[in-house]
Amino acid sequence: MKSKTNKDLIADAEYGLDSRYNSKKERDSEAASLMEARLIRMKNLSKEHIIRAKLMQLKLKMKAYIEQPIYDDQNHFAQDINITPIRLSQVINNHRDPKDEFIMKLMIHSEKVYENICEFQKEIWYQVYFHEKLCDTMSSQEEWRTKLEKDVKLSEAID
Amino acid sequence: MNVIETSSGNSHFVEINPVEDGDYKTLSKSRFFFDWKKEKAYEVYKLQLSRTREIIGLISLEKIPEEWRVHIRLLTLSKGNIGREKQFDRIAGNLIAYAARIAVKEYAEYACVSLRPKSQIAQHYIDKYNMKLTGMTLSIEVPEILDLINQYDHEK
Repeated sequence: MKSKTNKDLIADAEYGLDSRYNSKKERDSEAASLMEARLIRMKNLSKEHIIRAKLMQLKLKMKAYIEQPIYDDQNHFAQDINITPIRLSQVINNHRDPKDEFIMKLMIHSEKVYENICEFQKEIWYQVYFHEKLCDTMSSQEEWRTKLEKDVKLSEAID
Repeated sequence: MNVIETSSGNSHFVEINPVEDGDYKTLSKSRFFFDWKKEKAYEVYKLQLSRTREIIGLISLEKIPEEWRVHIRLLTLSKGNIGREKQFDRIAGNLIAYAARIAVKEYAEYACVSLRPKSQIAQHYIDKYNMKLTGMTLSIEVPEILDLINQYDHEK
């Protein structure tokens, strides 16, 4: 079997990197010398680098907060807006249209969620709902137009 | 985050997510080099192509809060991504940058990501990721760790 060349080793450097310690003793000894070297480097960190690191930390924490799911499951959300889980599921899966009251509850719920983050645009849920309706209606014309056109006429011509 | 398709130079979006229990049966040793089931006690993350959900890289990490450090235990690319025939570039870089993000999020200016490769390949990590060598351990700290995060956040 041919032994690996330096080129092969570099090509494989990122395939199968095993960085586990063999023993606690090995781990502790390496940790001690690493910490010693790091403490010297840390002393030489400029104020600017420390500020950059703190700003990056803030950015990463904000990102994690925003991406965090508010609910683990649908049932808790249904409880919070005081509707049955079945009704919520029907609306989410397009088996039932949401009533005005449902959209208004979403509006109030979102206001509460965003209270400490930013201003929530009250009209957004209505816009989402009606935009979806509009898209659905326009994209399904082939299905409904032929039948309904027979029912619609202009009795008086408009000039 | 993105990887580059080596044949075309095209950029592909990727995501890094925790490995779920159901994933382990697809992470064979022949494709991902290690027995990843043994890493279940640690934080294991998968790098997936956003479009196809194919897993093309894995990393397992150990947080060591008393040392403000995140240690990379294992890292691998999927088999089709090594050597001259590799399909995508930047997989390992994205995974290391992800470990760097975790470290900076937790420890700010004290953040450190470490690993200890075999001596023959240590130079690769020093050259490519600007890591420092202490004994057998390679590490990346502030300010280089911030540059690494920015590099993999912004490059397209």
